[in-house]
Amino acid sequence: MARRNIIAGAVLLVMSIGYGILTADLPNRSLPDTPGPAFLPTLITISLLVLSVGLLVGGMVEARRESEDADGYGIPVLGWIALAGFSVYIALLPYLGFVAASALFFAGLMWLYGERNKLVIGLTSILVPVVLFYLFTAGFQILLPRGPL
Amino acid sequence: MPGDILQGFLQAVQPSTLTATALGSLLGIVFGMIPGMTISSGIIIVLPLTFVLDPDISIALLLGLYVGGMLGGSFSAILLNIPGTPSAAATALDGHPLVARGEAGRALGVSVLASFAGGLFSCLCLFLIAPSLADIALGFRAPDLFSLVFLGLTIICSFAAQSWVKGLLSALIGLAIVTVGQDPIMGNARFTFGDPNLLSGVNFLTALIGLFAIPQLIRNLGASPGGTMASATAPTIPFKSLLPELSDLRRIRLPVSIGAAVGSFLGMLPGAGGPIAAFISYDYARKTARDPEEFGQGAVEGIAAPESANNAVTGGALIPMMTLGIPGDPVTAILIGALLVHGLAPGPLLFIERPDFAYGVIFSFFWANIFNLVIAFAGLRLLVKLLAAPRAILMPIIAILCVVGAYALRNSLFDVHVMLFFGILGLGMRWLEMPVVPLLLALVLGRQLEENLRIALTGSQGDISVFFTSPFSMLFLGLSVVSIAWSILSAQRERPKSSPAS
Repeated sequence: MARRNIIAGAVLLVMSIGYGILTADLPNRSLPDTPGPAFLPTLITISLLVLSVGLLVGGMVEARRESEDADGYGIPVLGWIALAGFSVYIALLPYLGFVAASALFFAGLMWLYGERNKLVIGLTSILVPVVLFYLFTAGFQILLPRGPL
Repeated sequence: MPGDILQGFLQAVQPSTLTATALGSLLGIVFGMIPGMTISSGIIIVLPLTFVLDPDISIALLLGLYVGGMLGGSFSAILLNIPGTPSAAATALDGHPLVARGEAGRALGVSVLASFAGGLFSCLCLFLIAPSLADIALGFRAPDLFSLVFLGLTIICSFAAQSWVKGLLSALIGLAIVTVGQDPIMGNARFTFGDPNLLSGVNFLTALIGLFAIPQLIRNLGASPGGTMASATAPTIPFKSLLPELSDLRRIRLPVSIGAAVGSFLGMLPGAGGPIAAFISYDYARKTARDPEEFGQGAVEGIAAPESANNAVTGGALIPMMTLGIPGDPVTAILIGALLVHGLAPGPLLFIERPDFAYGVIFSFFWANIFNLVIAFAGLRLLVKLLAAPRAILMPIIAILCVVGAYALRNSLFDVHVMLFFGILGLGMRWLEMPVVPLLLALVLGRQLEENLRIALTGSQGDISVFFTSPFSMLFLGLSVVSIAWSILSAQRERPKSSPAS
């Protein structure tokens, strides 16, 4: 917990400094005595700075007392692969179109979730995107990317 | 007024609206009961539909899902000892021991009836309280509205976070994201980096899909590979065993009443939600029971009280959502989003400008409870078979629907990238043990907060005393202070208990 608090505090501190720098470039005041577009971002910056420093310092104090961290939320290796697959899928969508890109992604995810029957993977990964494509485009007039196919 | 009520009733009994409500209930029960799935997953599946359907049908569908999800969560809690929703955790305490004794039908029957009673009571509260509260809220001016939104945020942070600092930080991240796009008063572009896609800001429905669905997909990959959504198998349940006996009905009268009252009240508080209401009702029911030692061993009162409470929370949560535009949880936040997509802003004006629609929502909520009862009793034997649904098919379908949902909002691939960004943000926040709910709700409330703050200060020429002269504003700010102080004190009280373990 303490280690993660230190990381959270440090990350948020950097983020709040970055946000503060961008806020400084905003027009501050449009009319006299009235809050301008930078008003809320300035308040957010100050609050983020104060609380992230608090979290960082609190984490450091806590770390001295604790011998080791308890196990927390972790991302499995397969999770990282799925996340990378998700990014590739989204990048390919405009080029391959919804059906082809989704079929590839679907097949990959089925394999990651433990399905090993190639016939089941093949049939399901084609059938589901095709059904969804026609359901949403023909049924609900949502124009999903068609691609070259 | 009676004319509006009649119009609302007629809107809710349109065949298309009724079908949507029933379908929502069915989907809600299914998604609530399958471990590893949540009500949010169900909502992600129907979300693209809500953009194209009429608002009354969309809301009926989502309401059915909300109410059905609460009940479905308790089925897996009772049958498998795995709560399908956090609210069902208290139900498992007595529900599963009954299953172990071979009385699964009795446990499920009591849970369905108690949920129905709790839901119906909260529907009555919604019907009676919401219009009056909307009348009062009509008198709110910008300083009052700012203080009200601020109160909503502080309550959410204090309830949603194990650490109040992290809760507030999460809300501040949400507020920072809200400031991306055109500023609501002057129209200046802020933090857009010259990208026109960012001018209209980040849609919180896109953020919601990423924040909730992607971490869930990743977490499910960590479970044992292959197989079904539930590793244990549910017993076969004869229909007759579902019907509670007269003696059980007598025993659950008081716990159901306690649960209904506690759930409806706590539901009105943003952030309090089902789990707290369920455990408080469970505790009250044990204290008032003739045989408190039976609790934890399979007491029907121990099922009835939390079940009644967590379904009563749904109606309670709709009161601030509809009358003040303040969401209490992610589902009511989505309801607000679905209404906004159709140009309907929840708040006191909804009862003035579209009273037929407002009453229609209340009646759809009523029908959702009725369908819950019917679907649960009629289809339970089939529904439990869904616990054997293959994870390898369900999870990829949800992944694809995340993309469709994000894309369909504006037919834009940019929103799909935003969804992925929020997915990674959600994973990061979970790893850093930061709650994501305050962020999401800040996304919903942030714009109102800024608008009212700036309108109030512009009106007073920068004088902040404007927030301390209105009685409503004073009341809300006072309650905000109490809420923050209470969460700090609770955190300090918790610390001595947790420190030896850590």
